[in-house]
Amino acid sequence: MADTRTETSLQAGLKKSTTQLFLATGAWVGSTALMSFGPSTFWDFDVAVTFLAIAANLIVGGLMLYSFFRHLKNMDELQRQTHLEAMALTLGITMVLTVIYGALPQAKVLASTQPANVLFVIGISYILSVTTLWLWRTSE
Amino acid sequence: MKNRLKVLRADRDWTQADLADRLHVTRQTINAIEKGKYDPSLPLAFKIAALFGLPIEEIFSPETD
Repeated sequence: MADTRTETSLQAGLKKSTTQLFLATGAWVGSTALMSFGPSTFWDFDVAVTFLAIAANLIVGGLMLYSFFRHLKNMDELQRQTHLEAMALTLGITMVLTVIYGALPQAKVLASTQPANVLFVIGISYILSVTTLWLWRTSE
Repeated sequence: MKNRLKVLRADRDWTQADLADRLHVTRQTINAIEKGKYDPSLPLAFKIAALFGLPIEEIFSPETD
């Protein structure tokens, strides 16, 4: 039988905050790209314009954080707890792996380290943590 | 923590989705509570108790009982 239930306020709120978070994240990625590649591509290393791009990136970053907070508040309590536990796991995993990664040049295993690689660790740890915790809790 | 959510829900012939809609949570949350994989917050426990018209202790009990 087809599911004829209407969309609940929980689902509607989540859909709205997911869209807002998606747009805010997209804007942040765009402003980060502009801040990184703008000086060489668009304004020939004009320091004043670069500072404007940094200010814009900070503002959009703040909006993205606000959107994420709103998204978290719109979740139901199991979803929220899953995300908060995933954040705790991500913090721990990132700390342990970053310390190891930072020690590698000193041990002459790597020539140098790239701070941006830490972002990959954060992203991958968070996605894996959310997925694992959610599947474990909601398995039938 | 143990609970009688599944029994109480079945008594009323409600699906997990029906109960989730009444409590404004996801169906997965109801499933996790019934399976003992998630203990609800105090506000949600009160909401569940009010919905079934029972005191909280008649729905939830410590694992040691």
